[in-house]
Amino acid sequence: MLDYQTQRQIELFLFEEARLLDSGDFEGWLKLYAPQGIYWMPSQPGQTDPLNVASIIYEDYGILAIRVQRLLEERALVLTPMPQTTHLFGNIVAQAKSEQEFSVDAAFVCVVHQAEKQKVYAGRHAYDLVRAGDGFRIKLKRVSLMNSNGTQTPLTIPL
Amino acid sequence: MTEQQTIELPTADDIRGLVRPDHVHRRAYADPAVFQLEQEKIFGKLWVYVAHESQLKKAGDFVRTRLAEHEILVTRGEDGKIHILKNRCPHRGARLCMTDKGTSRLFSCPYHAWVFRPDGTLSSVPHKKSYPESFDLNDPQNHMERIEKIETYRGFVFATLNDNPRPLVEHLGAMTEVIDNMVDRAPDGELEMAESVFSLEYRGNWKLHMENAADIFHPSFVHSSSVMPARRAPANASIIDQDQTREMLMANGFGFDEWEGIQLNGLAGGHTYMKNFYNQGVLSHQQQDPVIVRYRAALVAKLGEEKTAQVLGMNRFNNIIYPNLIINAQYQQMRVATPLAVDRTLVRIFCFRLKGAPDEMFHRAVRFQTTLGSPASMIFSDDVEMLERCQQGLAKDEGPWVDFSRGLDSDQRDTSGAVSGAASEMPMRVQFQAWVNYLTAEAA
Repeated sequence: MLDYQTQRQIELFLFEEARLLDSGDFEGWLKLYAPQGIYWMPSQPGQTDPLNVASIIYEDYGILAIRVQRLLEERALVLTPMPQTTHLFGNIVAQAKSEQEFSVDAAFVCVVHQAEKQKVYAGRHAYDLVRAGDGFRIKLKRVSLMNSNGTQTPLTIPL
Repeated sequence: MTEQQTIELPTADDIRGLVRPDHVHRRAYADPAVFQLEQEKIFGKLWVYVAHESQLKKAGDFVRTRLAEHEILVTRGEDGKIHILKNRCPHRGARLCMTDKGTSRLFSCPYHAWVFRPDGTLSSVPHKKSYPESFDLNDPQNHMERIEKIETYRGFVFATLNDNPRPLVEHLGAMTEVIDNMVDRAPDGELEMAESVFSLEYRGNWKLHMENAADIFHPSFVHSSSVMPARRAPANASIIDQDQTREMLMANGFGFDEWEGIQLNGLAGGHTYMKNFYNQGVLSHQQQDPVIVRYRAALVAKLGEEKTAQVLGMNRFNNIIYPNLIINAQYQQMRVATPLAVDRTLVRIFCFRLKGAPDEMFHRAVRFQTTLGSPASMIFSDDVEMLERCQQGLAKDEGPWVDFSRGLDSDQRDTSGAVSGAASEMPMRVQFQAWVNYLTAEAA
């Protein structure tokens, strides 16, 4: 088991990620990613292959940066009015892969409120984190939606 | 069937009154009675795509989908034939199969254990002696109800509830060319449907999506929120997709000048397509791209130089086969829009592997599917938002006419049908002309 202090640092890092998303600071959120970090939301339960099986999102920093800029565009139709979110991360279990690298498993719930609609997303997050200065950077975040292969509606704010 | 039958259906004159040369009445999108008539006369009479043969390789393979208001199973029987069954146990009416696809030599109802074969015939019932003597396993009334009219065109399986349909190829008309083209692009001459499918439901009429897919006017407006950031982003910043995503986002940002090269075509029967779209980078098969060099060589080995040039030269985008199938052959993409209610539509988004092509070609098709069709797509989500806003407006009886006049004075005709420039709403007029024809057709 990871020492308490590191476990707590990782929890606080995840809470900071949730806070950045909920406060609409998407550029701040992107800075949590390593320069070649990847955000992956599979479309199938247990999906291991992002190339031969389509993903809901499979983007590295270069594409995520475009996604983030879009969230800041006034013209984004799907963001009018801007959705409000509450990201809740819990059941956080971190493990050390090396001195510098950690894998983290967490459960999440996200409530998205926009105009007259409210939606709930839930599932699990799996992170590969690497230490950077006082904090961490995300090398990979894998978002396993509970209904990944179900019928969806448009998803705009990252989970 | 359903309580919807109690709705009084519009007459042929009602329907004719909803469509003018340049306008359509909002009831076409918002009236449940019109929707019911569409279910009967369009989705209940025309050939509708239901499955691809690559999903049904061996006996027992099945997929679950919809045809008009019915949930159906498309199966491969022990006899090697494709069968289509209504997903309902004939005993007590329970829905039978609860998964979207799989392999099963028998479908068994969990309630009283009637067991059916993939062709719908009744294989066994438990405690047969308690059924009356007259009860016959071979009586079709004890079988899963079969839809008999099935035709396949080069691997694409269509079905119809029409007892007396014209041949599928007649309905497809010149749209067979785009199916041919997608199959011919496979060096081994065969397509394989990808495992992953996106299913997205929106709160709007099905026709809104079909019109949007034929509409080249909207992207510069609707998609500017992804065009602008993609333009500002540095080239090749991504290490995972050779800039394909960025190029696809940018491709929606053409100005009025760039509309010039685009041509829209409308065919009898309501089919439409556009020519010359997505002309950059990875999307346009650059000669120096090593993946394309290998792919092209594989194709030339099978087809020869001349035929290869012809196959790869077909540049048609959003080929819309009436009523609800959209094919993009050059990116191996397919969409099916299934009406669920007058204001609810299910869009399913598929892609294909070209057998015999380099793996990277398939990776690009998968990436294309994600970029354009994922629920988190930076493109499709804005489209869906507009479709839903249209439905919200059309649901109210205020200013009942929708304008489709753009291009009315400049559309042309050639031997294939109607032809127009990018700015025209000709495709929607072609769709609505077909819509009127189908809805007002006398029963055969």
